[in-house]
Amino acid sequence: MKKKILYILIIALAVFMLILPEYIASMPYILNVFILAFYMTTMSMAWNLLGGMTGQNSIGHACFMGIGAYTATLCIVKFGLNPWVSLPIAIFVTAFITAVVFSQCFILRGPYFTLVTIAFAEAVRQIILNWDFAGKAIGLGLPYVRGNNWLLFSFKDRAIYYYIAFAMMIAVYAVMKYIDNSKLGFALKTIREDEDVAAAIGIKPLKYKVIAVVISASVSAVAGFFYACYYRYIDPNIMLQSSSVEIVLPAIIGGSAFVEGPLVGGILMVSLSEYLRNTFGGILPGINLILYAIVLIVVIRFRPTGILGFFDRRGRA
Amino acid sequence: MDTFLQACINGLMIGGFYSLMGMGQNVIFGVMKIINFCHGEMLMVGMYLAYVFYTYLGIDPYVALPLVALVMFIAGAIFQHTLITPSLGTKSFTNLLFLTVGMGILLTNGAQVLFSSDYRTITTSYSSIILSLGPITVALPRVVSFCVLIAVSIALAFFLKYTRTGKKIRAVSQNPIGAQVVGIDTKKIYMITYGLGAALAGVSGALLTLFYVINPTAGSNFGFRALIVVVVGGLGSISGAFFAGIFLGLLETLVSLFIGPSLRTLVVFATFIVILVIRQNIILRRA
Repeated sequence: MKKKILYILIIALAVFMLILPEYIASMPYILNVFILAFYMTTMSMAWNLLGGMTGQNSIGHACFMGIGAYTATLCIVKFGLNPWVSLPIAIFVTAFITAVVFSQCFILRGPYFTLVTIAFAEAVRQIILNWDFAGKAIGLGLPYVRGNNWLLFSFKDRAIYYYIAFAMMIAVYAVMKYIDNSKLGFALKTIREDEDVAAAIGIKPLKYKVIAVVISASVSAVAGFFYACYYRYIDPNIMLQSSSVEIVLPAIIGGSAFVEGPLVGGILMVSLSEYLRNTFGGILPGINLILYAIVLIVVIRFRPTGILGFFDRRGRA
Repeated sequence: MDTFLQACINGLMIGGFYSLMGMGQNVIFGVMKIINFCHGEMLMVGMYLAYVFYTYLGIDPYVALPLVALVMFIAGAIFQHTLITPSLGTKSFTNLLFLTVGMGILLTNGAQVLFSSDYRTITTSYSSIILSLGPITVALPRVVSFCVLIAVSIALAFFLKYTRTGKKIRAVSQNPIGAQVVGIDTKKIYMITYGLGAALAGVSGALLTLFYVINPTAGSNFGFRALIVVVVGGLGSISGAFFAGIFLGLLETLVSLFIGPSLRTLVVFATFIVILVIRQNIILRRA
């Protein structure tokens, strides 16, 4: 009975989300908030595969997203490739780089791994900052196209971006949900709980951690591609450590032990924070991040399993 | 040769700050096994405290040092006791990590709301005095700050080595359960430790104010470098942190002299990753 109500609620919410652009099309700002929320939620879910499910806390996910965005943009702008061809290239390049770097770094555990992700992200940002071909600190712009063009992935109509972002988020959620219940998911969760036990029962920690980081980075690359195509401009600041932190916060607030955690946290927090930034940004800059931090601290202090921990008794601390 | 010597002196001076920051981080990391991600932000708070003391109360930054240290110590101890200690029980490294991250965001943006993001400086009567030793020139505040840094570092090393509280801190860092068994109040030690780390960060910040711009994100450069110092210098080793800090400062200035200032951060961070990975490989092979 309870489950039935929940399903009806979810379907109602999904339908509401789908027809929403019809009503707010005249308010591009609100549409933008939603698009941003979907994008952040996607990134947060990507993080959660590595951080929440595998227990490898990365503070470098903005860099994975950045590598994806930069590869795609370079392919489009400098090599004149079609965006649809650039996307797989971006995914491949991001996955390849992270696999090569992190297969070496995964012998580091706990805090040390976190430090490596930070250093890696900053190092990549510095490379881009010093690389003439990638536009240095000025960044790269994608060409604007008239009207809606699916082939060139450029739309005048923001609602289309809304639907694409929404579809991306739902698709990534479906993938994460599938992984969560698959053999891979159980292996990852075993590694999170105890690496040595995992190794003892025949789960190779290194292999599975690399798989996790490759999937996570690939999803980030897709999100990065979307980011580049949506804003039509990228610069090295998208890879700042603070962006990486902002990606993680929805997952922690929502509940990193749950697949739905980033979804709840992302939608709630990003819309709230964007609303605050819009309303009070002129008088009190940074007020949205203060609220973010306070919510984060309160949630961690009183409900270590995140907002979803309120509804789940098995919630893991 | 002159530029080389000058770069060395500059590296030494900035390295002193990395050392002191690293020592504070080292004590915290050693005792509680958590990365304190708001260490750089605590340095920034120390800067603003010194700024407020100087601008509104007219206290010279060097005189205000004990005051800044005291305020930071109390604030750090309260933060530790009310927020970190309860979360320590859950043994969730992720939550502890992001608790300090959240605190860092709160401090940075709080400072932005209170003081706006303008760049501020403190100008004292002696801040423009330049000392010259042959071809090398150094501003007087830098030299004084460096001497204070060294003094504080030595005092910290003695405190940890010879005082009763220092011995307790080291005991908890080696084995918290064993320490509890012999009657050490670990929660109190956690408070003292975190307060100590905050005070050290605050002192570093106050010392920086005389020749560095004060703004809400001033600490972010130092925060991560403090972590590098801890990891490279070795956990629980005060002298290790000291030399690692100096080494990092020298490396940065020498890289910017010989390779180029824009590649400084890249080289430092890449070196850090390589050192970490190689060292872990050596540890694993030995085991």
